Amino acid sequence: MSTDTAAPATGTGATGASGALRRHRGMILIVLGLVLAVLVVVWSDGEERTDTALDPANPGPDGARALARVLDDEGVDVTVARGAAELERTDVGPGTTVLVTSTDALGASTVDRLLEHVGAARLVLVEPGPTVAEEVGMDGDALPDSLDGGREADCDDPLFADLTLEVDVALSYPGTGCFGDGSGAAVLVERGDVSLFGAGDALTNDQVLRADNAALALRLLGRDERLVWYVPQVDDLGAGDGVTLESLAPDWVRPGVWLLALTVVGVAVWRGRRLGALASEPLPVVVKAIETTLSRGRLYRRAGDREHAAQALRRAARDRAAERLHLGTVTDPHALVRDVAHHLGRSETEVDALIGPLAPAPATDAALIALARQLAELDREVRRT
Amino acid sequence: MAISGRAPLLLLLGIIAVVLRPSMSTVFLWLLVVVLLCAADWLLAPRTDALAWARRPVGTVRMGHPTETLLVATNGSGRRVRALVRDAWQPSAGATGNRHRVSVAPGERAVLRTPLQPRRRGDLRAVGVTVRSAGPLGLASRQRTVAVEGTVRSLPPFESRKHLPSRLLRLRELDGRSAVRVRGQGTEFDSLREYVRGDDVRSIDWRASARNRNVVVRTWQPERDRRVVLVLDTSRTSAGRVEDVPRLDSAMDAALLLAALAARAGDRIDFVAGDRRVRSRLRSAGSRDVTARLQDTMADLQPVIAEADWDALVGAVQGLGRQRALVVLLTPLEPSAVEEGLLTVLPALTRHHRVVLASVRDPALDRLASARASIDDVYDAAAAEQVLGRRRRTTQLLRALGVEVVDADAERLPPALADHYLHLKAQGLL
Repeated sequence: MSTDTAAPATGTGATGASGALRRHRGMILIVLGLVLAVLVVVWSDGEERTDTALDPANPGPDGARALARVLDDEGVDVTVARGAAELERTDVGPGTTVLVTSTDALGASTVDRLLEHVGAARLVLVEPGPTVAEEVGMDGDALPDSLDGGREADCDDPLFADLTLEVDVALSYPGTGCFGDGSGAAVLVERGDVSLFGAGDALTNDQVLRADNAALALRLLGRDERLVWYVPQVDDLGAGDGVTLESLAPDWVRPGVWLLALTVVGVAVWRGRRLGALASEPLPVVVKAIETTLSRGRLYRRAGDREHAAQALRRAARDRAAERLHLGTVTDPHALVRDVAHHLGRSETEVDALIGPLAPAPATDAALIALARQLAELDREVRRT
Repeated sequence: MAISGRAPLLLLLGIIAVVLRPSMSTVFLWLLVVVLLCAADWLLAPRTDALAWARRPVGTVRMGHPTETLLVATNGSGRRVRALVRDAWQPSAGATGNRHRVSVAPGERAVLRTPLQPRRRGDLRAVGVTVRSAGPLGLASRQRTVAVEGTVRSLPPFESRKHLPSRLLRLRELDGRSAVRVRGQGTEFDSLREYVRGDDVRSIDWRASARNRNVVVRTWQPERDRRVVLVLDTSRTSAGRVEDVPRLDSAMDAALLLAALAARAGDRIDFVAGDRRVRSRLRSAGSRDVTARLQDTMADLQPVIAEADWDALVGAVQGLGRQRALVVLLTPLEPSAVEEGLLTVLPALTRHHRVVLASVRDPALDRLASARASIDDVYDAAAAEQVLGRRRRTTQLLRALGVEVVDADAERLPPALADHYLHLKAQGLL
């Protein structure tokens, strides 16, 4: 209501517009917020990004997006499979290389599923742990190897013959292969269609350009037309994978826990059975005597009935004054005003404005409060004198 | 059927068996054993109807005062019964410590005492007796609840009893029997006695003094054998609470004090209570224990959400006798209720009797009327003034009809009503 009266008073179109702006401030803010949220979503959804090391979608120093892009550009059909379910949906056959990075996330069950799905395709495992290596039928007792600042391939595989590998630290797997240290362990060990590659750092965006790392990576992974890049997820793991609390605990613990649960149920039954029904009390009616008066007050307030309220207060003040001055119960109000004014030594018009029967009703709430206080003051004065 | 704490404990003991033979089948076998043991124990437990119950009458007690209820269990079976018994009462009866362990030999009896401390006026009832009879192993029990009637009558507390001594003192002063030898007020000539210092010279009987060697004064005594009729309104307006005490209870307090005082003054007290219809009636004919009887009559009166039928109540008052009486109407001074119900029948009463209306005033109303802090307060104050104004006008109307009005706070109503009675007595207006 206040804006309706304010707008014509201020006049010009500019202020009208700013008034509209102010009025719809909340709505504008909400719309702006929504637009911003949509923009953020669209902008960030452009490309998948992760922080996982050696992930084809990770552009960070320890990611492998550069390698994935280069392989793609070289004509290799790179398919990224995240999770076992996605891997099983991709077509894997002869002429396909399956690369597994983040082998830490592989468990016994996922390796089984992986081997089953890979079939005749080539499988490259990057830095697998001992359990994973054993699962694929290789010796996984790897040792850290610093490569002494670059190592020649030193093997008869023509694919890697002239290459030098250089990383800060790699894993050497027992067995014969390329980039060996001459003591029966090598960074790249191949048996049949399965390769273990111990220098994951050579594939990262950061180090792929050191020495011949890039060439090694491309030759290792670009041998076939298709490359399926499997990134195992933790939730692929079955319940039986890894070490659980159960496999460590004594075998009576599980039935013991069951027994304990049954005992808890027994205790609940013991404590839950009451000794007879709850005793109820026929409750009496609770009516506050003051309640009707309070509702009447609320009614006045809601209606903003200052006139009635003022009338009631004035009549009460008149009654009390008449009683105090022993004027009897049926007195002419005008005579009463005169008597009170005379008694208090105040002017008759002043007293008439306060308790007169024809005094105007207060125009505002503040005026009503002021009137109520003045009447209380008048009452005190009459009582004092 | 109920199990004891021993059953889960026994179940837990199965952990030994599980450690020795770690398998799930051990758990289920153990559970089966425990369940079978419990079932057997339950079957072997004495039947709950082996005990026959009887309750001694509790009688009456003043509200807030302790008493106890006696429950007698008789074992009619041929086996010893060990049981846990709960004697349940409605909560306001204050039956604390109502659980008892009993062991009754065949043919023997056991007496269970449950302390009671009523916190509410009226007839408070027993809910039921629950028996839990344990088996020989103490694993499982049979349980049953039987209804054993029981009622404790909780009398109105008569808080205003404390005002009685001072009012009796004033009554004795009226009587002229007091230790301070003031002239007995009243209108009935009592006797002549010798003048002592302090007597009112106006009471000297000169004629008698002339015949005597000493100065003789007349003494008077107030009238005796007057009638006081207490009319207690139990309709909807009496249910209203003032400072969380129903108006009805405050009115009862006032009625009790007046009755005690009037009985000592040698008056007869009649009592009528009702709302839509007459709930109770008491003709005392001047007996000494009128307060006790009145308390007993009032004990089970509760406010009824209905309008009072004053025609019926006044009819009951007139049915008590034609002799002139002081009729005390204990009803709230609610303008609308009084104007619509009471005013029409009042002339019939005032023609024969002296009528006093005693009402419990709500101090919250005065507090509300004097609040001036905010606009809400002022509207509330206006509403309160409106109500107070209507009460004033109703009071004037009643006075014009010849009805005295005693309107006081719950705390002050009993002494105010007693004082009014003494005042009437002194004036010989009864």
